[in-house]
Amino acid sequence: MSTMLTSEPVTFGSPGRSAYIPAPARLIDVRDLTAQEKLFRLRLDDGRALDHQPGQFVQVSIPGVGECPISLCSSPTRGPDFELCVRRVGEVTTHIHELRPGDVCGIRGPLGHGFDPQEFIGRDVLIVAGGLGMAPARSLVQYILDERTRFGRFHLLYGARAPTELLFRDDLVRWNESPDVNFLLTVDRPDPQWRGKSGVVTTLFRHLPKLDPERTLVAVIGPPVMFKFVVIEVLARGIPQKSVFCSLERRMKCGIGKCGHCQANHVYACLEGPVFRYGELKALREALE
Amino acid sequence: MLDRIATHADLVAAINELAAQWRLIGPVARPEPRCQPPVRYFYEPVERAEQIDLSFSYGVYSPKRFLMPPGETLFTFRKTERGFTAEPQMEASPTALIGVHPCDIHAIQTLDGVFARDFRDEHYFARRERMFIVAVDCPQPCTEGVFCRDMESNDAASGFDVMLYPLDRHSARGTSPADHDRYGVVFGSDAGRAWLMGDGLPRTRAPGALDARDFETYQRRKQAAFPRALSTPLDELPALLTRSYDSLLWQATAQRCYSCGSCNLVCPTCYCFDINEENDLPLSTGARVRTWDGCQLREFAVVAGDHNFRARPQERLRHRIFRKGMWIQRRTGHKGCVGCARCDRACTAHINSVEIYNQLAEEG
Repeated sequence: MSTMLTSEPVTFGSPGRSAYIPAPARLIDVRDLTAQEKLFRLRLDDGRALDHQPGQFVQVSIPGVGECPISLCSSPTRGPDFELCVRRVGEVTTHIHELRPGDVCGIRGPLGHGFDPQEFIGRDVLIVAGGLGMAPARSLVQYILDERTRFGRFHLLYGARAPTELLFRDDLVRWNESPDVNFLLTVDRPDPQWRGKSGVVTTLFRHLPKLDPERTLVAVIGPPVMFKFVVIEVLARGIPQKSVFCSLERRMKCGIGKCGHCQANHVYACLEGPVFRYGELKALREALE
Repeated sequence: MLDRIATHADLVAAINELAAQWRLIGPVARPEPRCQPPVRYFYEPVERAEQIDLSFSYGVYSPKRFLMPPGETLFTFRKTERGFTAEPQMEASPTALIGVHPCDIHAIQTLDGVFARDFRDEHYFARRERMFIVAVDCPQPCTEGVFCRDMESNDAASGFDVMLYPLDRHSARGTSPADHDRYGVVFGSDAGRAWLMGDGLPRTRAPGALDARDFETYQRRKQAAFPRALSTPLDELPALLTRSYDSLLWQATAQRCYSCGSCNLVCPTCYCFDINEENDLPLSTGARVRTWDGCQLREFAVVAGDHNFRARPQERLRHRIFRKGMWIQRRTGHKGCVGCARCDRACTAHINSVEIYNQLAEEG
């Protein structure tokens, strides 16, 4: 069986097709975000849109080096191109950082269970993002802004460790000026030039107006240590835990619920997650500890 | 109900006929002076039926590696000027797996379930769908320490092409020549039926009243021959585990765990794997391969930032037992553990799953 990748659409799990073969995607644009993170805009060679949900991820392949899971950080409402924010931490991400426009990498996905936009439509939305969690959060932010009339009040809280670690600075400026989103920003460790708020992300809650517990859905995206403190603030405002969604970080290998690497207790983060209701996550002892 | 009766000689002839078109795999005796009797059995490729011992005790390893090889190329790639091409590798030669005990039949059904659900794994099914399975029933436990009866996996009603019941082994083992041994035959598929009843002379005969009576006796003796080892019934294991999540027994037992992963290696239902790159020289071509991995190895649950969600051996031991006793079943509808006790025999630290279950049960 021989397959030239350029002619093969990704159809996972269809008879005779390997679910492990990446589809080639061409790099359209690269931008530096911080010293560690770059933003990559990609297009599948066959021209197909990924058709993803905010919160889903893809496996990015560099043949000869390997594969790693990366969250999608653009909204499906933005056309067939998609964006990935990649932090340089290991071998694969280092090689991704070396890609130049016109280069090709491999993509498997979209994978996992994201934020279902249908569930958020008609509701007030509070997004709380910490650190690199701003990357998947941005996909949902863009979605809401692009479909703004279909959502109620929209609050976005973003906490970074330091001003130098802020992602998507252009977006932050736009969101800050936009009447469509109540955007609040803080850094843990301000530098002398910093004019904004400082403190951990939960300190932003005191700047929020009263939230409607019946109407508000909350998306929490960040390091697991953040979840608990954010959820306390959310529950304190009367929002039921069933209205809280969290995105769980694991190192997926296969991405299709087999290899076991992302398993937290009985769930596979690559299938049932990475986005979970907090109520489900709470029962998973390994997810948060 | 038996479909046919075959003699040992019938089966040898029929298996040798299979060998013309199929790769034969079966349990082969290997001398091992430290064992009593001084042999151990391994599933290996063979040329002739005579090399296979259908009355083997147990395979040190299960036949898992013929369905899911320890190392497997998923695809090969070739780098081009600015991109790459990839070619999936799903070759599989038709394979006849001869001499599979009911526990391993159940384990294969578990693997089938795992690789069929969610995203179907065509690499697995390329082999599975070209596999012919001849099962052999166990008239008595194959060795000490097994708990297949507790796991309800010492009988198999499906998951094979042919099941052989060694009707004379209770009474005649060691006293009658092997070629007079009778096997009760149950067909599990049309391919199985065609094998023993297809073109040419039928090698088997219809069961008579005597055979039917002997089969009843066989089943009755079998029921008596398999003791229970677990103090908790199978359907109560999930509840037992759920209330034992915070038991100190995990730590007490895992104190002696070397995190070597031998239990994962020999387990017929362990299927976790890693995916890695293999490059050729020069570096323009290579392969993406998957290799067996094990949840007992320390690095298995490491995530970004080197955080390890199961950093301590007790967390990994609990994870394994929870998978075996509850989670695989809940996810796939198939058995997570078949009670073969290979993990217990392989454990260098003598960690014993029956002891774990029974100690947890005593905690109430």
